[in-house]
Amino acid sequence: MIGADTPPPREHAAVGDRIVGILLAVIAAGAWWHSHTFVTGFMHTVGPGAFPRLVSIPLGLLSVYLIVRPGFNQRWPEHSALLRQFGLLVVLGAYAALLEPWGFLPATLLATTMLVRLFGANWKQAMGSSALLTVALYLLFEFALGIPLPDIPGMSD
Amino acid sequence: MDILSSLAHGFTVAIEPQHLFLVLIGCIIGTLIGALPGLGPVNGVALMIPLTFNFGLAPTAALILLVSIYYGCMYGGRISSILLNIPGDEPAMMTTLDGYPMALKGRGGEALGISAVASFVGATIATVGLTLFAPLLVGFAIRFGPAEYFALFLLAFATIGGVTSGSFTKSFIAACIGLLLGTVGIDPVSSVPRYTFGWYEIYSGIDFIVALVGLFAISECLFFLEDTRHGSKPRIQVGSAIPGMKSSLRCGPTIGRGSLIGFISGVLPGAGASLGSFLAYVLEKRWLGRKGDFGKGDPRGVAAPEAGNNAAAGGALIPMLSLGIPGSGTTAVLLAVLLTMNITPGPLLFEQQPDIVWGLVAALFIGNIMLLILNIPLVGLFARVLQAPPWFLMPMVVLVAFVGIYSLSNSAFDLYMMLAFGVLGYIMRKLEFPTVPVVLGLLLGGQMEFNLRRAMAISGGDWSILWSSGISIGIYAFAGILMIAGLVYGLLVNQRGKLR
Repeated sequence: MIGADTPPPREHAAVGDRIVGILLAVIAAGAWWHSHTFVTGFMHTVGPGAFPRLVSIPLGLLSVYLIVRPGFNQRWPEHSALLRQFGLLVVLGAYAALLEPWGFLPATLLATTMLVRLFGANWKQAMGSSALLTVALYLLFEFALGIPLPDIPGMSD
Repeated sequence: MDILSSLAHGFTVAIEPQHLFLVLIGCIIGTLIGALPGLGPVNGVALMIPLTFNFGLAPTAALILLVSIYYGCMYGGRISSILLNIPGDEPAMMTTLDGYPMALKGRGGEALGISAVASFVGATIATVGLTLFAPLLVGFAIRFGPAEYFALFLLAFATIGGVTSGSFTKSFIAACIGLLLGTVGIDPVSSVPRYTFGWYEIYSGIDFIVALVGLFAISECLFFLEDTRHGSKPRIQVGSAIPGMKSSLRCGPTIGRGSLIGFISGVLPGAGASLGSFLAYVLEKRWLGRKGDFGKGDPRGVAAPEAGNNAAAGGALIPMLSLGIPGSGTTAVLLAVLLTMNITPGPLLFEQQPDIVWGLVAALFIGNIMLLILNIPLVGLFARVLQAPPWFLMPMVVLVAFVGIYSLSNSAFDLYMMLAFGVLGYIMRKLEFPTVPVVLGLLLGGQMEFNLRRAMAISGGDWSILWSSGISIGIYAFAGILMIAGLVYGLLVNQRGKLR
């Protein structure tokens, strides 16, 4: 989202850019090196390795430039925000993992409750709205769109 | 007239009941998504893609729905700009400058009315422009060979840099990352797996819809979680939008100028709606000089950028449809949809599938009228969306993204991939790398490489074929000019930042 009243705090000549620059330079070099293992077929004037090499040259050069002359970075969020963001990834990762073994309804209900909590609602609001969202999505996909979602094990017909 | 008969044919396609219904639904959903702070057209359209595929719509219908959402988002973006001072997306940013002060003075309804009319005029002018110029460009592009197309792709990447906020270097790096990611998977020409490292899930390449939704929707949620101060919002009386109709008459010349500027910047590859609204506002301010009350709630300060960004949105469809080169993030997303449905935009599309092109253009005309009708009397209803608590909206967005992606492939792997792209998008945005070039690279990389190889096959391995025709040299020169223009624009924006 674009900041409303106050522009986001920025840092000039930031370390982040340098780290990314080094990382990307390594990736560019790696991509270049690895592209030589792609076998060029018989009768092909341009093999499968040429285009990746063509891209890795500017990528490498630009990342070196970024290391030398880093630009602006936004400040990283505070500890509590990082925890929340990590929480989001954990909840969503777990949701992806549980979707099939548990079935859509229980997995979604649990994941949505946690999500709504993460976004700052209390437990009561979380339970209510997650039930609403889960059922609405279930109806939308199963019946309106006719897309089968994973059933609860043992309850499929 | 050839164009008129094509357009007439388009209207017969567009007024099929299913298509009309989709236009209406698209406009409503689009306005809603656009009105939500933080969700712009790119996120909105990206989010709706999996759903569209699930509906099992034919290509024409799917495209009509998604483009209606796109136009709707451009309309909706102004609502949160004016009422909350929070732009729904980047192009709506300029609207906050005069829109919010107007709302504070109790003229919020009027501002919404003016901006609706300005949006309508801008979008309609752009759609007329699309009708006139796209066939012209197609007539020109029919002579392009693979070398010219390769030059065209370079042009798209050269110009996306300067205008997508911020650093040139970073935009190009982002484009290179996208291009490299685009090579992952089995090479379609030689069947050699590239950068797969034995991971069979990515043998078919990185699905750009998964990448898109991750980069835009998931990273948006991560951004949202940074800040907990979303709770209390100032309640603003919307009032009636009807007085805005009258004041927009007085803004007539402003709207006209804004539309024209916006349209031109929309057509330029890589420029898009942000440039359109920015230039429209700045030039209007300069044009009127001291006569205006800009920054303090001048109605013309609302009319100019809104006309500009909606005109640009329409203009951006021209290079996308006629050349297959998207001019903005959202048109890139639309291109992704077309490619997924095995439709390659370009001159041949106009010849072989006129139903798609002209049906779409006609649907845009109809959609514009619907949007105007929806947005004048019903604007209060849309504004109510802003009162919905974020703890409900954001999980809903995540959930739609998740289930939508899952239902396309039924694979948990795609979901992990989407999360990974979400983290990538978040980190990139924190480091002020634009994410749109990544999508463009991922999307266009395959075509770019294919054209390069075809050109080389024709020349027998002689690289000079790439710059041997007048057309390709012209395209490279144009790319150079636009790059310099982009640099100048970047400097302007930086200066604007300093002035603030």
